[in-house]
Amino acid sequence: MKELHWYYPETLADAETLVRQENVLPHGGGTGLLLRNLTGVDSLIELSRLPLRSIKVVDHNVEIGSACTYADVVEKMAEIDPGHILIKCLHHSANTPLRNRITIGGSVAMFPPWSDLMGALITLDAMISLTGKNSGDYSVLEYIRDKNLRANSLITTVKFKLLPRKSAHYREIRTKSDMPTFNHTVLLNIEKNKIVDCRIITVGTVLKYTRLAEAETYLTNRRIENIDVAEIGKLVNLKFAGSHIDDPEYANIKAGIELGRMIQQMVRS
Amino acid sequence: MSDYTIIGKSEKKIDSLSLATGACQFTDDFELKEPLYLAQLYSPHAHAEILNIDDSEARKLPGVVDVFHYQNVKPVLHTTAGQGFPEPSPYDSVLFDMKMRFIGDRVAMVAAEDQKIANNALKLIKVEYKILEPLFDPEKAMDKNAPKLHGTDRFTPIGATYDSLKNLAAEVEIEFGDLKKGEAEADFIIDKIYHAHYGSHCAQEPHAAISYFDEMGRLVIVCTTQVPFHVRRIVSKVCEFPLSKIRVIKPRIGGGFGGKQEVLLEPLAALVTIKLKRPAKIVLSRKEVFQNSRTRHPVRTRLRTGVKNNGDITFLEMDSLLNSGAYGTHALTVLSNCGAKVLPLFNKIENMRFLGRSVYTNLPVGGAYRGYGATQGYFALNQQLDMIARKLDVDLPEFIKKNHIQVGETSKIFEALGEGKEGVVQYINSCKLDECIDIGAREIGWYEKREKKLTNGDKVKGVGMMVAMQGSGIPLVDMASAYMKMNDDGSFNLDIGATDIGTGSDTVLAQIAAEVLSIDLEKIIVLSSDTDRTPFDVGAYASSTTYVSGGAVKKCAEKIRDQILDVAAEIMKTDRNNLELADGKVHDQKNNKCISLSDVAVYSLYTKNQFQIQAGASQFVEQSPPPFIAQFAEVEVDKKTGKVDLIKFVSVVDCGQAINPKLAEGQIDGATVNGICYALTEEYKFSENGNLLTKQFRDYKIWTAADIPEIKTIVVESHEKTGPFGAKSVGEIGINGPMPAIANAIYDAVDVRLFKAPFTPARVYREMQKTGCQHY
Amino acid sequence: MDGLFIINGMQHRLDFKSDERLLFTLRKHGYTEVKNGCLEGECGACLILLDDKPVNSCQVFTASAVEKDIKTVKGIGNLYEPHIIQKAFVDAGAVQCGFCTPGMVLATYALLQKNPKPSEPEIKNALDGNLCRCTGYVKIIEAVKLAAQMIGKGGDRNV
Repeated sequence: MKELHWYYPETLADAETLVRQENVLPHGGGTGLLLRNLTGVDSLIELSRLPLRSIKVVDHNVEIGSACTYADVVEKMAEIDPGHILIKCLHHSANTPLRNRITIGGSVAMFPPWSDLMGALITLDAMISLTGKNSGDYSVLEYIRDKNLRANSLITTVKFKLLPRKSAHYREIRTKSDMPTFNHTVLLNIEKNKIVDCRIITVGTVLKYTRLAEAETYLTNRRIENIDVAEIGKLVNLKFAGSHIDDPEYANIKAGIELGRMIQQMVRS
Repeated sequence: MSDYTIIGKSEKKIDSLSLATGACQFTDDFELKEPLYLAQLYSPHAHAEILNIDDSEARKLPGVVDVFHYQNVKPVLHTTAGQGFPEPSPYDSVLFDMKMRFIGDRVAMVAAEDQKIANNALKLIKVEYKILEPLFDPEKAMDKNAPKLHGTDRFTPIGATYDSLKNLAAEVEIEFGDLKKGEAEADFIIDKIYHAHYGSHCAQEPHAAISYFDEMGRLVIVCTTQVPFHVRRIVSKVCEFPLSKIRVIKPRIGGGFGGKQEVLLEPLAALVTIKLKRPAKIVLSRKEVFQNSRTRHPVRTRLRTGVKNNGDITFLEMDSLLNSGAYGTHALTVLSNCGAKVLPLFNKIENMRFLGRSVYTNLPVGGAYRGYGATQGYFALNQQLDMIARKLDVDLPEFIKKNHIQVGETSKIFEALGEGKEGVVQYINSCKLDECIDIGAREIGWYEKREKKLTNGDKVKGVGMMVAMQGSGIPLVDMASAYMKMNDDGSFNLDIGATDIGTGSDTVLAQIAAEVLSIDLEKIIVLSSDTDRTPFDVGAYASSTTYVSGGAVKKCAEKIRDQILDVAAEIMKTDRNNLELADGKVHDQKNNKCISLSDVAVYSLYTKNQFQIQAGASQFVEQSPPPFIAQFAEVEVDKKTGKVDLIKFVSVVDCGQAINPKLAEGQIDGATVNGICYALTEEYKFSENGNLLTKQFRDYKIWTAADIPEIKTIVVESHEKTGPFGAKSVGEIGINGPMPAIANAIYDAVDVRLFKAPFTPARVYREMQKTGCQHY
Repeated sequence: MDGLFIINGMQHRLDFKSDERLLFTLRKHGYTEVKNGCLEGECGACLILLDDKPVNSCQVFTASAVEKDIKTVKGIGNLYEPHIIQKAFVDAGAVQCGFCTPGMVLATYALLQKNPKPSEPEIKNALDGNLCRCTGYVKIIEAVKLAAQMIGKGGDRNV
């Protein structure tokens, strides 16, 4: 294999110039890059020297630098909003040493089917800021759908609004440090015992992620005393596939039961 | 309870500080001068014949030095099982074969200047295969029209039953009493089929071997082995290189659990060094460990038991079908132990039959794995006992206490069934199983929780238990030896063939020597497992080290003690019978005088009638006294989803005198948690064409500290008169319990029998959905 | 490529390949106390402290660690002057084969630096990236508790 060239930019301006070159990839923590084939890649841009490792709150908007690790996010979000969904999603993700390496930017760019992050970002309507060829802000869904946005572009920040929401995250795992078969992220806005807004995303389905629109419709504008947990389970109709799933039908049943339990817990507390 | 000074004390493991500070070296840590790095090419087909290999492109790659395969390496039939000679496993392997028998079978090997080049060269080897029909179902292996894996040139050196035309790697059958009579007498018969699954040892250190010629032209092999002396013998045979020119050194080993009782890499490294006269290094990746090394044999057990309403078991018939995978390593002995280590525990049963068959399939290869058949057998037996007790409506612990073997008793199985051959008549000298059961029941809260179905929302609690015995070495087979000499300052070298693979046997054996000589542990300098420097030992397997090797060390130290007393008598001009060793000194009781051991050593080495105080001793055992264990599980089962949470697990073990209680507990803790993961999350999954899908830790899930519930290990000491200072074994027994104890606990919670593990949420859920499950 | 690294408090210039994992760079240069167990970031045998944070060195490109501070288990104590945590592992009987121990000791070191009095769940979670097959973790968890106690009592060396 030919030698990779490593760049160590210290300013975003330098990074932008570098990312516009041919066959170059940004390097955050490297855990994702190690899983892929680097054939065709000439150089890597090491991000750790860039000012991308801070988390700021500007006018109720949280801005997370793309080089922040999962551990950084868990630690710093705890100061900003101790009950925030991102903490729930990330504090047990992977394992301790990996959480010190996996970066937000890398996770967004890669979006593996076991991602604990993406469900939260989708429910939060997060925006992804890019620099380089496709400089600008994009909604996270736009970024997921349009693979072309990745080309010659570097994620600099992930932004979302800080909103008072009830939130919960569930990971379907075999052991504590497992990559989840699927995971649910739920955000609820409850006003006067009524659910006025609701977001439910499941990551790990055949489509990689699925918005549980039927369950959302059922819950929206429903008073919490009228919620039938068993009913929610029936509205979950997820498709799972892959050699890691022995019993896709069971996975869907499990997903339904666990979602019902999450909702029950959330409206109770 | 004892008046020992060092025995029974939790002395610090003698290598532990060196390990904790990273100073100790493991095989892959040794520096070699310009070694060749080796990489293996594996078969992508479960069953195929190699028609041709073209290695020319690989050889052209700069840095590639040589490529090895069936066309250029002489085939020498052997077994990779690191067992005593002649090995009880069939000779069905050669280093490089023309026939591929599983996805992962060895096709070729590259030796190159660096690892990357070696790995890249593999892709350049062109292999032409003729694909053959694969055989995956062990139940069909003996069918007339089943694909045959091995040719008729393969054989067993011990003359055991072997039939390659039936894919039969081994067969054992014993019967005593009258089964028909037992059936007639029974008020009810329970007839069930259990499946114990594949498992990987997951020793944290992957297999590795390095080899080089020393300055005298002798071949040195440093390797991750449990059996250095068997390595020397098998390498000599396979590489056709004189045994006298081979030295095998075992450095620190990162866990074995049976996985390193296999001679897999050593002949490959040796082959390269012998041919190319250069050092060689081979280290398996984790994927290779999962797929290409050895596994726990899956066993299908059909267990039939007849019971009278008064609780008498009138007959027992066990039919074990062992899936040996592509090769027959340990196929006979693991199979034998499915019965031999299990059935004697219930010695009141007068009519018994054990039929065992090991068959070949085109799947990964079984081998030695902690528990060694007993784990598979006890999974069946202990669930069956739970069913019997429930059907009789009696308390399971009390039922077991009435039926298990007791001190002074024997079992016909001991004599009829050994490890691959007939066994040895054996009477039980020590057994505190009743006490183990009582303590365990108390610790788990058996009588408060059993059949109570304590419920919290969707979750129901249940408790389950099991009992087991194992052995302590292989009687009339195992031999261990020790050598000691005394130094100027009253310290001693202890040279032992015994193989510490992380168990702490170096420490335990030093404690035995120190006890005999009444000295501090620091005075014993241990050197173990170097075939040039230490006397013979079969190695670390069959729960033998403390009992067998410990016996050798004790004998050896006693000879040293006698010599010390002789010299001291000469120095002190007194009768030897007045002398006694205590606190590192020789005391003359009568004259109230004492001299130091250093005085004795200096006198013997420099002063008068000079000689080296030294001794060697061997231990050959005729008995294999079983340790006993009672294990209890408390689970909480989610009725809606089938998810099983383990709340608490208790193990109470009678291992005779624990030489080092902390190390003994550590053996049980480790074995138990290994068994728990095996019961709940570990699984080999295959694609339809026989490809292993779970060959990484991210797929094959073993637990981390974050998953561990309350684990309680209690050692109940007994005194085994045939063992060193009353010791029996403790290494394997703990792994047998989790699978049946947890299965029984799940039944207690949700009335569902799990005949197949792991007990994943999906599997438990599906079983709960089935209607008409039998309620006992 | 080559680059400067601060390893166990000393500056070293090491050569490495552009796609090399830090684990291999360290081992190649004699830091064999960093063990290779799985190469997938699951077992923790190769755990080191990178700028004081525990990471799996098999999951780090060496090129990305240039000029950074690296600590291996030898950097916190040695056979002659062991760290309290290393002593605690010995005293608790937490070392069996010892292959996972360097990683376990460093994970403990990182935990106790952040949290000198961890609860049992905190201990267990801090070790969630380190596999051990010998001990069942029982005595390892005891060792961490013991180390915290010993340090709390003002042991001879502070974390």
